[in-house]
Amino acid sequence: MARIGVFICHCGENISATVDCGRVAETIGKLKHVAYSTEYKYMCSDPGQTLIKDAIKEYKLTGIVVSACSPRMHEPTFRKAAAEAGLNPYLCEMANLREHCSWVHEKNDMTTEKAIDIVRILVEKVKINNALLPIKVPVTKTALVIGGGIAGIQSALDIANTGHKVILVERSPSIGGHMSQLSETFPTLDCSQCILTPRMVEVAQHPNITLYTYSEVESLDGFIGNFTVKIRKKARSIDEKDCTGCGLCTTKCPQKKIPNEFEEGMGFRPAIYTPFPQAVPNKPVIDREHCTYYIKGKCKVCEIVCPTKAIRFDQPDQILEIQIGAIVIATGFDIKRTDFFPEYGFGKYKDVIDGLQFERLASASGPTGGAILRPSDGVVPKNIVFVACAGSRDPAKGIAYCSKICCMYTAKHAMLYKHKVHEGKAHVFYMDIRSAGKNYDEFVRRAIEEDYVNYIRGRVSTIYECDGKLIVKGVDTLLGAQPLEIVADMVVLATAGVANSGAEELAQKLHVSYDSHKFFAEAHPKLKPVETNTAGIFLAGACQNPKDIPDSVSQASGAAVKVAALFSQNELTREPLVAFVNRCSPPLYSTCVGCFLCQSVCPYQAIEREEFKNRDGKTIKTVAKINEGLCQGCGTCVALCRSKSIDLHGYTNNQMYTEVMALLNVY
Amino acid sequence: MHNLILKAKELLENKIVSVIIGFETGSSGKVRPVFITDSNKADSLIFDERCIQNLAVYLTKKEVKQFGKMGIVATLPIMRSIMVLISEQQLSPENVVVLGISGDGEVLDFADITVMQHYIEKCELGNPAKEQDMLATLNRLNMQEKFEFWQKEFSKCIKCYACRQSCPMCYCTRCAVECNQPQWIPVQSNNLGNMEWHILRAMHLAGRCISCGECGRACPVGIPCHLLTMHLVDQAQSYFGVYAGISDKMSSVLSTYAPNDKESFII
Repeated sequence: MARIGVFICHCGENISATVDCGRVAETIGKLKHVAYSTEYKYMCSDPGQTLIKDAIKEYKLTGIVVSACSPRMHEPTFRKAAAEAGLNPYLCEMANLREHCSWVHEKNDMTTEKAIDIVRILVEKVKINNALLPIKVPVTKTALVIGGGIAGIQSALDIANTGHKVILVERSPSIGGHMSQLSETFPTLDCSQCILTPRMVEVAQHPNITLYTYSEVESLDGFIGNFTVKIRKKARSIDEKDCTGCGLCTTKCPQKKIPNEFEEGMGFRPAIYTPFPQAVPNKPVIDREHCTYYIKGKCKVCEIVCPTKAIRFDQPDQILEIQIGAIVIATGFDIKRTDFFPEYGFGKYKDVIDGLQFERLASASGPTGGAILRPSDGVVPKNIVFVACAGSRDPAKGIAYCSKICCMYTAKHAMLYKHKVHEGKAHVFYMDIRSAGKNYDEFVRRAIEEDYVNYIRGRVSTIYECDGKLIVKGVDTLLGAQPLEIVADMVVLATAGVANSGAEELAQKLHVSYDSHKFFAEAHPKLKPVETNTAGIFLAGACQNPKDIPDSVSQASGAAVKVAALFSQNELTREPLVAFVNRCSPPLYSTCVGCFLCQSVCPYQAIEREEFKNRDGKTIKTVAKINEGLCQGCGTCVALCRSKSIDLHGYTNNQMYTEVMALLNVY
Repeated sequence: MHNLILKAKELLENKIVSVIIGFETGSSGKVRPVFITDSNKADSLIFDERCIQNLAVYLTKKEVKQFGKMGIVATLPIMRSIMVLISEQQLSPENVVVLGISGDGEVLDFADITVMQHYIEKCELGNPAKEQDMLATLNRLNMQEKFEFWQKEFSKCIKCYACRQSCPMCYCTRCAVECNQPQWIPVQSNNLGNMEWHILRAMHLAGRCISCGECGRACPVGIPCHLLTMHLVDQAQSYFGVYAGISDKMSSVLSTYAPNDKESFII
């Protein structure tokens, strides 16, 4: 015989202001099988919980209904309290009297009637609730970090330093990412490579990190703690064991006119190359698309000159299958380039460049050795214009967001220019200066006040060439929207930061959500900024939205802690509120007919095939089976199953039917 | 017809199939399905304009499957039913040989499912003209009139489930109406329960019906229940641009999402 306890919470005055809690408790108390019914000001408080626990013991309750707020916040609280009093936590239900009743209705009898109805149907439901046991799943304590930029490097090192194995996958031939391309970093103006390369070496030498460069994630299966990843290790066309990284092949390669990606197209590289001198690993790779041997079938100069005979023209791509327990996505960002700004003549005029190209010009290891020279004729520009918000905060261009890093790097660019070209003039067109951050605004003020950078608040409408000069037409909004024209030698566009190429495909492979700009989506914008909606997959760095180095590094460490916390357990405990496909005795085995429509509708890939075999090993029947580790209990499969062979623990068809019937039947 | 018999004999004699599902002459000028396992008896096979039953319903019956590999005399709706059954993993392509019959009664030779798929693609796939006219007439009624029409029709229903039994797509071992814990749909025949049953059946066939009209023909009290599923054929076509049973690798329109789906049904 069911003995149900009902606990009506006033939620301060949130509920009791419109609902007559006393009447609810009294009416419910008269229902059949309700052994105890009471009200209290704050059920979630310690005395409130004690009240529940004492009642469970004293009245030997077989189920309880806590009628309070939304279960989102306090269901775990009350289930825990029930468990402490010896009641299975899943025999505790919550009736939402706040969001579903008191907050949305006026104070009157009908509101109280509705509250009674809400409680009543849950009393009926809890009577047929089953005791459920938590699901335990094992954890593979190896992490996968995707992307070897500063965020990926930081995450990999932090996880590795907690003693766990890390697989770091980077799609280009070297780790380092965009940070390795930068000249100096704001707000301290220290050399980017000088602070980055020690970290890169640390990754290469760390005993817990396995580095796969020139590799990409091919596919991902499984669930939190138990993923299986397939990694495509693209053919480097060299034997990494034999290669000593002497670089002779790269100097002898006859194909030398390939635009250098690392130099943002402002220099050239051979077909066999290492992206930059400090590359990790410092082993070359053959770019098969441009290599003469792969195009014409002969050349092999590199093979002839290689002192250790490490060239392998016939090396195939390798597919590695690795078991992992957690993933950090740190695939970074990219910037908008040429064709996005026809009005600024980008791509047409050689001296209109983007921010990354300016970084290379200003870098001591760049194509000009650190001298600021115009790409067109190699002359030092005397007048330079920086355009902030090129593409960003421009809904007409489809990018409404602020790219966040441009204000700071534009100030830095202007400063670097002034430090190198003392007599030169630097102008910055800006919309607003967004320099929130430690020592950030001081940095921008320094550019304006100490380096005399001319900041103009207004946008640039057009840039065109006239007599070898670039005419920048803009407006100064602080001078009453005066049209302004600057004759410049060079223009640098702080183009919008966008999602990295391939982000969408990767998101689909990993089954994580992404926004309309193809940036990876966090689970909660405020309280879960590092988690994705897929359990066990975390975000670090600019793959989520444009971020500067300090933000990327902090988030990377945050993601590492999430992974470490996950790996601190040997088993994961999951809520047992998952779907299940019924089973019965042979020869039926299950009422499931194996149409697998549920498989295509499941957002979590949680539905597997189970085969029943006879003694000869022949398959007699194939039916659906729910992977309890993956199932999130959304119930979509339940709704779709025509033969009603799938049901959801905690929300069974029977429980739902009982609730509906309780509501329809007059009590 | 001669070609059909020759082909059936050949398949049985060479033991390519163990049973041929086809039509034979029955009593009082009617045709009936026949299951031939002996090549000597293949002479009874016939095919003419009376042979309109959807034989694909037998392909998932365990009494027929137990013979082994099945040959089936198939008109276009039967071919399309076979495609749906393969898509929904109820039939293995290796377990069936299709003796296709073209619109003008010619025997078609399909080397495999892909050849059959090419044939289906060339055919007219919408609802038959007669039913399309009836649907148009019904759609001209207002909501109240439509409701009254179906109320009247459903009041005749005796819940014999002949519509379900005759449909190749209703292959579940346990139907939702047989589920009694809880009993969402009442066992007895009454107005509300009858309507619930017919709506449930139509929804379960949404995007899967291939317009054979068998359910309507099977109904002993003459409820035009095939119009419900045929209406959904039209809907699936207009919302998702898809006809059921045109490939062996189709996923259900109701369980898949394409970015270019029309979303006019979202209010």
